[in-house]
Amino acid sequence: MAATPSTIEDEALAAFRAEARTWLKANIPDHAAPLDGPQSRRYVLEWQRKMYDGGWAGLTWPSEFGGRSLSVVQQIIWFEEYARVGAPSTHNASFVGVNHAGPTIIACGSDAQKAFHLPKILSGEAIWCQGFSEPGSGSDLASLRTQGRVEGNEIIIDGQKIWSSYADIADYQELLIRTEPGSERHRGITWVICPMNLPGITVRPIKTMAGPAKFCEVFYDQVRLPIDQAVVGGMNNGWKTAMATLGFERGTASLALQIGLVDKIERLARDCTDPMLAPRLADLRADAAALRAMSYSFALASETGTPGSEGSLIRLYFAELAKRASDAAIDLYAIGSPALAGDHGWAFEYLDAFSETIAGGTAEIQRNIIGERVLGLPRGK
Amino acid sequence: MNFEPDDNQAAILDGLEQLITAQKIEPPKHPTFVAFSETLDAELAASGFLDIAREEGFSPLDAALIVERIARLPLCAEVAASALIGPLFPIDALQRPVAVLRGSPLGAARFLPQARSLVVVEDENVSLISVTPDRVVPVESLFAYPYGRLASVEGLAVQRFSRDMVAAVLRRWRLSMAVEAAGLMQAALDTVLEHVKTRKQFGRALGSFQAVQHRLATAASTTNATKWLALRAAWSDEEADCAMAATYAQDAIPLFTYDLHQFCGAMGLTLEFPLHLWTYRLKALLGELGGSGGQARAAADLTWADAA
Repeated sequence: MAATPSTIEDEALAAFRAEARTWLKANIPDHAAPLDGPQSRRYVLEWQRKMYDGGWAGLTWPSEFGGRSLSVVQQIIWFEEYARVGAPSTHNASFVGVNHAGPTIIACGSDAQKAFHLPKILSGEAIWCQGFSEPGSGSDLASLRTQGRVEGNEIIIDGQKIWSSYADIADYQELLIRTEPGSERHRGITWVICPMNLPGITVRPIKTMAGPAKFCEVFYDQVRLPIDQAVVGGMNNGWKTAMATLGFERGTASLALQIGLVDKIERLARDCTDPMLAPRLADLRADAAALRAMSYSFALASETGTPGSEGSLIRLYFAELAKRASDAAIDLYAIGSPALAGDHGWAFEYLDAFSETIAGGTAEIQRNIIGERVLGLPRGK
Repeated sequence: MNFEPDDNQAAILDGLEQLITAQKIEPPKHPTFVAFSETLDAELAASGFLDIAREEGFSPLDAALIVERIARLPLCAEVAASALIGPLFPIDALQRPVAVLRGSPLGAARFLPQARSLVVVEDENVSLISVTPDRVVPVESLFAYPYGRLASVEGLAVQRFSRDMVAAVLRRWRLSMAVEAAGLMQAALDTVLEHVKTRKQFGRALGSFQAVQHRLATAASTTNATKWLALRAAWSDEEADCAMAATYAQDAIPLFTYDLHQFCGAMGLTLEFPLHLWTYRLKALLGELGGSGGQARAAADLTWADAA
C-alpha cells in the first residue's frame, strides 16, 4: 500500500512542507477571488504570476518547460498546505490552462507550441478555456459538428460551442473541430489552439444558478487559424488528444480540488455541535478520508504517465461527495448564517456543486467508463 | 377511502385554475434568484382562497390542495403559512403575509420582507409579532423565497399564545412544508420530463436511456408518495402524521433535486432554464425546523412517546 504524504514524511519532505506553508502564509491574497468577468481574470493571473515568481507554479511539470519536475508526493503536500491556508480555489479561470491545455501541449504539442504557450500558462500571462461541448453534443461529445475547413495553410472554423467556462476572459481555447468532411463520431476531429481575439468569434456569457456568468456560448464565423500553430496532436487525430485532456480532468487535474474538499469537510465536522447532524458529518468525514486515500493512491500510480480510466472512480466519488458536503453545510449553518453568504459561502458552494456531476463528463458517462473500461463489462448499445 | 376531490374541492381547484389562468403567470423573463410575485400574492389573498380553512364545511385538506397547486407555479407567493398556520389564530389577530420562525424572533425567515405578521414558536409559547416591511432587513438568498430578519423587536406589538399553540403551529408548519414540497416536486418533475423527451444525445432522446428512466421513475414515485402522505396528514391533521409527511419530504429532497438537475445537464444549471425555480425552494424547505432529522425525531416522539 502506498504511504500517504500526510502520514509518512522524511526530513526532506517535512522541510518542503514547511517551506510551502511559510510561503503560502506570506503570500495568499488578502481578498477573495471574484467569480467572473475581467476582475476574475486580473485576480487569477496575478495569483498565478505570484506563484510562478515564488517557484510554486507547475511543480510536476518538467523543468524544461518551466516546471520544477517535483514528485507527485510533493505536489500533494503543496495542495494540502494550499487548502490548509484557504488559498484561492484552483477551480478558477486558470484551471483549463494549468490542468488541461498545458499538460496536453506537453504530451502532444510541437516544440514551437511548447515554447510559446507553456511559459505563458505557468507565469500567469494567458487564460485558457475549453471548447468541447456543443448545443447538441454534451455527453455525446463525438457527435460534435463545429467545422474546420482546410484551405491552404489555414483552417476556417464555423460553428458553435457551449459551456465554455471563462471564454469571455480567455486568451486561448482548446477547441475540438471536425476537419474531415463527411466523417462521423470519433474520426476526423482535430484538437486546435484557438486565440480568442480572432475576427469571427463572438462570446455570450450565461449566468449560472449559482450566480456567476462564467459559462459561455462561443460562436465561430469564418474564423481562420494557421494550421502549424493551431493543430495539436495531428490533423484528424483530435479524439485521441482530447481523451488525453479528459484523462487529466478525470484524474490528477482535480487533485487540488479533491484535497480542498477533504479539508472543507474536516472543518465542517469540527464545526458541528448539533447531535442530530453529527452522524451525517461523521459519515462525510469517513467519505472524505476515503477520497483522500483513493486520490493519493491514484495520483501516485499515475506519476509515470497519462492517467488511466480508474480516474473516473475518483471523479465520480468526488463529485457526489461534494454535493453531499454542501448539502450538509446548509443544514448545519442554516439560512441567514454568515457561513452561507457571499461569493464563496456554502450557499454558493451548494448550487455550484451541481456542476460537479456534469462538467468534464457527467456522472453517467463516468459510470459508463467505469463499467466498460475498468470493470470490462460489455459495451451498451 | 376516497382519493378523488369531492364537489367542494373540485370547485375550489377549478376556481383556482381560473385565477391562475387569468394571471398569465410565466417564469421570470430575466435571471433572478428570488421569484416572488406580489400580484399573485395579492390576488390569492383577495380571492379568499387563503382563508378556506376558516370557512364552515372546509378543512386543512382543502387548504393543502391550494398550497400544493400554487407551489407548482414558477413564481412564489406566501400561501402555505397563510392557508394552514394562519387559521390557528383568531382572524383579527393576524394579518398576512405571514412569516414563521422557531426560537429567536431575530432569525432569518421566508417572506419576512413582505410579512405583516411573524409567528415565533418558542419552547413554552407562541408569539405573534406585528411587523412592517420597514422593520425588516433583507437577507441574501439564493433559494427563490424572499428572506429577511427583524432588526429588533423593540416597539413591535406582540401577542402571546399558550403552550397548546406550540404543538399546533409546529403541526401545521410541518404539514405546509410537506404539501408545498409535493407541488414543487411535481412541477420540477414535469419540467425535466419535457426536457428528456426532447433532448437527444447519442441519436436518442435522453429519456430513452434506462439509467435516466429508472431514476426519473424513482423521482415520480417520490413525488407521488410525498403528495399523498402530505394530503393524508392534511386530512387527519394529526401531529404525528404531519411530522411523518415532513420527514419523508425532507428526506427525499436531496436525491430528488440531484437527479432532476443531472438530467438537464449544464443547461439545468443556468438561470435560463426554469428548473431552479422549484429546486431552489425545495432546498430552502429541506433545512427548516431542523431538517428531516428534526422531523423524524418529532414523528418518533409523537408516535412512540407512550411506549417509551
